[in-house]
Amino acid sequence: MISQIFILSSKGDHLIYKDFRGEASKDSINVFYERVTALSGDQTPVVMAHKDLHFIHVKQGGLYWVASTKTNPSPFTIIEFLNRLAALTKDYCGSLSEKSVRMNFALIYELLDEMVDFGYIQTTSTDILKNFIQTEAVSSKPFSLFDLSNVGLFGAETQQSKVAPSVAASRPIMSSRGEQGGKNEIFVDVIERLSVVIGSKGVLMKSDIQGEIRIKCFLPTSSEMRIGLNEELSIGKSQLKGYSSAVRVDECRFHQAVKLDEFDTFRILKVCPSQGEQTVMQYQLCDELPCAPPFQLFPSVQKDYVNRVLIFLKLRCDLPPKSTALNVSITVPVPKGSVSMSQELSSPDQTAELQPKNKALLWEIPRFPGGAQLSALFKVDVPGLSSASLLEVGPVSMSFELAKQTCSGLQIRFLRLAPSQTGLSQRWVRYVTHSDSYTIRI
Amino acid sequence: MTFLYLGHNCATLGEIFELKAELNSDKKEKKKEAVKKVIASMTVGKDVSALFPDVVNCMQTDNLELKKLVYLYLMNYAKSQPDMAIMAVNTFVKDCEDPNPLIRALAVRTMGCIRVDKITEYLCEPLRKCLKDEDPYVRKTAAVCVAKLHDINAQLVEDQGFLDTLKDLISDSNPMVVANAVAALSEIAESHPNSNLLDLNPQTINKLLTALNECTEWGQIFILDCLANYMPRDDRESQSICERVTPRLSHANSAVVLSAVKVLMKFMEMLPKDLDYYGTLLKKLAPPLVTLLSAEAELQYVALRNINLIVQKRPEILKHEMKVFFVKYNDPIYVKLEKLDIMIRLASQANIAQVLAELKEYATEVDVDFVRKAVRAIGRCAIKVEQSAERCVSTLLDLIQTKVNYVVQEAIVVIKDIFRKYPNKYESVIATLCENLDSLDEPEARAAMIWIVGEYAERIDNADELLESFLEGFHDESTQVQLQLLTAIVKLFLKKPTETQELVQQVLSLATQDSDNPDLRDRGYIYWRLLSTDPVAAKEVVLAEKPLISEETDLIEPTLLEELICHIGTLASVYHKPPSAFVEGSRGVQHKRLPARAGSGESAESPDVGHSGPSEAPPAVIPSQGDLLGDLLNLDLAPPTVTVPSVQPSMQMGAMDLLGGGLDSLVCSSRALGGDIGGSPSMGAGLGAAPAAMPASLGSAPTVGGGLGDLFDLGGGVGMPTGSYVAPKTVWLLAMKAKGLEISGTFARRGGIIQMDLSLTNKAMSVMTDFAIQFNRNSFGLAPAGPMQVLTPLSPNQTIDVSLPLSMSGPVMKMEPLNNLQVAVKNNIDVFYFSCQYPLSLLFVEDGKMDRQVFLATWKDIPNDNEAQFQIKDIHLNSGNRNKYVLDRVLQNYSKKTNVFRDCMQKQMYDSTSVDSLVHDSLLLKGSYDAILKIIIWCNRIC
Repeated sequence: MISQIFILSSKGDHLIYKDFRGEASKDSINVFYERVTALSGDQTPVVMAHKDLHFIHVKQGGLYWVASTKTNPSPFTIIEFLNRLAALTKDYCGSLSEKSVRMNFALIYELLDEMVDFGYIQTTSTDILKNFIQTEAVSSKPFSLFDLSNVGLFGAETQQSKVAPSVAASRPIMSSRGEQGGKNEIFVDVIERLSVVIGSKGVLMKSDIQGEIRIKCFLPTSSEMRIGLNEELSIGKSQLKGYSSAVRVDECRFHQAVKLDEFDTFRILKVCPSQGEQTVMQYQLCDELPCAPPFQLFPSVQKDYVNRVLIFLKLRCDLPPKSTALNVSITVPVPKGSVSMSQELSSPDQTAELQPKNKALLWEIPRFPGGAQLSALFKVDVPGLSSASLLEVGPVSMSFELAKQTCSGLQIRFLRLAPSQTGLSQRWVRYVTHSDSYTIRI
Repeated sequence: MTFLYLGHNCATLGEIFELKAELNSDKKEKKKEAVKKVIASMTVGKDVSALFPDVVNCMQTDNLELKKLVYLYLMNYAKSQPDMAIMAVNTFVKDCEDPNPLIRALAVRTMGCIRVDKITEYLCEPLRKCLKDEDPYVRKTAAVCVAKLHDINAQLVEDQGFLDTLKDLISDSNPMVVANAVAALSEIAESHPNSNLLDLNPQTINKLLTALNECTEWGQIFILDCLANYMPRDDRESQSICERVTPRLSHANSAVVLSAVKVLMKFMEMLPKDLDYYGTLLKKLAPPLVTLLSAEAELQYVALRNINLIVQKRPEILKHEMKVFFVKYNDPIYVKLEKLDIMIRLASQANIAQVLAELKEYATEVDVDFVRKAVRAIGRCAIKVEQSAERCVSTLLDLIQTKVNYVVQEAIVVIKDIFRKYPNKYESVIATLCENLDSLDEPEARAAMIWIVGEYAERIDNADELLESFLEGFHDESTQVQLQLLTAIVKLFLKKPTETQELVQQVLSLATQDSDNPDLRDRGYIYWRLLSTDPVAAKEVVLAEKPLISEETDLIEPTLLEELICHIGTLASVYHKPPSAFVEGSRGVQHKRLPARAGSGESAESPDVGHSGPSEAPPAVIPSQGDLLGDLLNLDLAPPTVTVPSVQPSMQMGAMDLLGGGLDSLVCSSRALGGDIGGSPSMGAGLGAAPAAMPASLGSAPTVGGGLGDLFDLGGGVGMPTGSYVAPKTVWLLAMKAKGLEISGTFARRGGIIQMDLSLTNKAMSVMTDFAIQFNRNSFGLAPAGPMQVLTPLSPNQTIDVSLPLSMSGPVMKMEPLNNLQVAVKNNIDVFYFSCQYPLSLLFVEDGKMDRQVFLATWKDIPNDNEAQFQIKDIHLNSGNRNKYVLDRVLQNYSKKTNVFRDCMQKQMYDSTSVDSLVHDSLLLKGSYDAILKIIIWCNRIC
């Protein structure tokens, strides 16, 4: 059972404090802040104990979301709840920042009152909450040049307005009653996180994809929506289909509001989205990627002169030619005591630097088109280099973003709203794959 | 200055004045803004209690938003302004009647949060109405309010009958109401452990399972947690509950998943392992656990701590999922370390190659802590999977070649452990190790290296030089290294006496004369005297063959593990401590236990790690680190501590039986033994006090009739010796496992009282106080009859002997083996757990007297087919009457014991197999005594 909930700014200011059971004093806020700021690297921040009080916290939007308890509750419950609280705050206030929480404290107190009673979590569903919540959000929209660029242009459908504007999704779900300007929009995102380990000889050792379909809904009334996925999608390890193009996931989980009666035959998810953000489906795929891993690395590490290591990296992007990887960064651990580095890169938009503190060099490529191959040569000076030091080079880790692309091949075929839905509504579907952990051993 | 100080803590007078004016404004909007400002000041910690009356005035409004704000303020300040709070009561009562359910619920919710005694009495009537409200939203709020009220005034809640209303709400049509009622009842029940408030029976369970499918995710958690406390009647019921809970495993909320896992892990315990469903369930548990690892780092960490427990209890669930525990480079360090730990636990011959390849990669990473742990892990693999040892050693050698300082040191420490597990196998690597001697700067690594040199001194040509080089800075070394160096040089001397005499002299004088560390000095003196008095003995002592270290490293002690499994998905599972260790007060301190499995034949072959009985433990294996289990296994090898009446059939009958009578009544009163024997009940209480009156039946020999009569003809003849044989004390809890507290002990039966004789030794540096002892439930309900009397604090190096009288009135649960006793000892430092076994003879009462008719009737009661016959070979009647007496006496004794057994069996705990196993479980002595016991026990089997 939750004893207290409080929200602190990163500087330790009290933004929200609510005591549910009257068993702990308000000092615990300061105790928590002292503890969390004094954490050293090897301590686990997840659960902290102070005498008989236990703190569980998450950090979101630069704020600490903290629950304290004196009993033996489930940390999963509390972490899930705090994440949900942060998400709801974002839904209701439009964005998540110190300012928005400060401006909407009355609303957040009201939310908390309905969400938790005597430390028991009651509900976190916007559908239920909207019946009770009276306070209106005070929006703190950041001034953005992007908004200006969207104005005018003589009504022409610019390329810009066809892409879902990135700030469009960050506004409060409950627009004030007077103003009907809130657009009827719904965003469906397919987000995948890719983890890959490639062995020293280029062998794929481990690969998995964690994916989710997330919707953010601004429709005023909730009505049924049908999301059609690839018809050939198969689930489970045993169901091997005859042809190779099948899209497969190992396991999937659904939001409890999702109706699955058409899922088995037509791969259609039926859901009445409540306002705000929610994850409709999560899925994962281990080991058998349907496509080649997006990057292959051909490294060579040599000892040059006495105190110098030559690292030659050839990196190939195996995406289809139309796709592009963005913000690719490659981190290569270098021997201890590396002092300086010189590099030869193939184009001026790339950068590379040595980070002696992390014992690593960082190579960054802003855009990397599919099918391309880039190479770079790094000369690292290491005083007192021994042959054993060469073993310290590697493994290489990469991070990147693949826009408009899913590695599992999962697609949304259609997105249909029930005909009863009045007024025009805009539907957006977005795909993105992030690297979660992409490691290449040398 | 004063003004500034005020300005920080309270709202300034000016502010207060301004707010006051605004609160009393006519305009609703202005009022609302003012209340908001008040609450904002409240949040940042300013004292705005002065505005209490003005805020309360705003309460009577039809604006819900304003009302909510005022209520928020009230909750915060009512406690400091109880008199003022009374002013609000009328409005509360009125609001509870409001036509708007939102207002009714709001009023009842807020009233419960005002923790002022005076208010509670006004609360009862509105609460009663709200519990029966037509709107489920009001009912669910009222259900929680009962828990709130109980927290303030438990008696009031009971008197007003709210608990019954709450129980009725379990059958409510609305699942949210059910969930809140369950949550409230569970909390109230925790403060009344024996109240049977949550009367869980198959009907209510069915209701809960139905509600489970309909309610919100959070409600599902309450219900699942409540289900986990239920004990199904049989494996069939257990299976049907499992079947209905399994769909929760695919829920998106990880808290629901974990609560479901907890229920399944617990109920699985009852399913027979050969059941198909058991295998299906095992398969179903793996995917949700794996999925948890894709969550954010915080959840991952909590999940890994839980998986760590699950893997120890049921390694088979995740044995094919090794890969998901491979670390990612961007995992936070605490996640990495947990993953590493689980990898080792899952390592087996099948996957060891893969694991080692991974570990070797980790050992070259950047993070020092992680690298160290990875190197240790390689060593643990070698010890755990014998087939991999060679590969592990060569991997370690590769790592030593990197010359990375901390890698080398860590590798040497684990190689030492490998040597202890596989002696005389990998000594070829010593040369490589010696090359790195100079780079060792950490005490642990230095000590390990010195140990290796000393242990294999005969194979290292320059061992003396090496050790001598360490000796130069002897006084700057840490104690660990000094002790190790001393021992190593003595070993060296015993192996190569001729050339090292000088060296040993030097180290002995350094240790004994120049050191002020008592440990070092003592060890020095011991070696010195050993060497000077009897070098041969010294050789035997110092160079004795060392016990091997065990492969199962740092497992959680099985009792604790069982308890933690019952607490999966809670804080306890993150801390790996029982809730009683960190939750204050009565809440949540009851120890939870896994249910016993159906089908007793099965438990014997249970392959669960940490569940193996003592018989499976290979002898002479001690664990390498923090492994209580290993110790316990070791200790079980102590000589059987069984009473041997033939040792001294001396004539102490009188005193003996007097007490025996007392004990009888003690036992009878608590366990309702059949076949009571005339003892005076008053004696039961006075432990050890000599009773004044002789039991009437004593000494009156029954009239002799036939052969059977002989059995009863022993009246004042032979008696069980009072302080019958007492086994020597054995160490139950090693100091190193218990932060310096060493406990050794034995059991005795003196004067009819079962006693646990304990020696507590403080081997730590600080004083120990506040001792307490507790037993886990056990087969015969043994429990301390009083608190452990350790009145004076135990100072370092002091030993205290305590005799703890035991009663048999504790809760009963079948243990495996039957005579296993799990004990928790607490002191000011921590709680420690150990388990020990008591001789079954401990439970046998001395006075076996039984009326002849009763005996004959009892005898006849036993079905004939239970009778087994065989020849007794070991009785030598020619050694005089004595043996006959003993035999008779034993028989007589056992007719009494029959009752004890029957009593147990009436509880339907033991079937014939377990009595059988009882006989086999090394409980009884060899020879004639043994044989007689068998006859009698077999005769008394109850099917």
